Amino acid sequence: MLTKAKMTFYQTEITRIRDTCYSNKRQIETVVGTRHYINTNFDKGLNLGLLSHMCFTSKFHLLRLFKRYYGVTPKQYLTDKRIEIAKELLRKGVNITETCFATGFESPSSFSTLFKYRVGLAPAEFQKRATFTKSA
Amino acid sequence: MKVKILSVPVQDQEKALKFYTGKLGFVKKVDIPLNKDSRWLTVVSREDQDGPELLLEPSPNHFEPAKVYQNALFDAGIPYTQFNVESVQQEYDRLFGLGVEFSVKPTEMGTVKIAVFNDTCGNNIQLVEML
Repeated sequence: MLTKAKMTFYQTEITRIRDTCYSNKRQIETVVGTRHYINTNFDKGLNLGLLSHMCFTSKFHLLRLFKRYYGVTPKQYLTDKRIEIAKELLRKGVNITETCFATGFESPSSFSTLFKYRVGLAPAEFQKRATFTKSA
Repeated sequence: MKVKILSVPVQDQEKALKFYTGKLGFVKKVDIPLNKDSRWLTVVSREDQDGPELLLEPSPNHFEPAKVYQNALFDAGIPYTQFNVESVQQEYDRLFGLGVEFSVKPTEMGTVKIAVFNDTCGNNIQLVEML
């Protein structure tokens, strides 16, 4: 960073916001650690109890912290991650049942319903269009 | 409704196209001539070419308040637009090596890491990495 005398308005604001919103290192380590754990274990049966156990906090404390720093709950974040990976797999041509279990969903029907709600297309339709776009 | 196009005001469309494709790595998507000095010009992310398009629009040259607003944001160091990257440090090293000027070096802000560079067309652009 530049010296104080040369700092722009934005640089001053970054410093101020960092000091007021992000001064609790331990809380940040907890939520960043939780996010990384979700990123690498999205295909497993994750729940708030397990996640909070991993970082030695209570369920509701973790829920509040995660939402405060990331703006979404761990569950919403996990769903986003699973849908993102599911789209990648479907684009690669992996079939719907395999995609469903590889992304940690419990049944193809709950996967299809959620996928359609979030993406706007059922998994089969999404895959058909992705394949068509690639070959066009 | 879908988010399909986002605008970035640029002072020189040709220069912007070179910077956004040559240095940042975006890909040209649509280029339609409108009149002698304006085009409908969009670029997309190389890894998401069907995703949202970035419209490099010449508004600062045609609409005075746009120019005033752009200059004020620029002078205050404020990035109006941001792009997400896997690693801010890697992109910083790569872009710095290509001669891109940064007003904020890679800086951790709680759950994100950010950096801000000059796009040479009148804007500060922020890179963001989720930690």
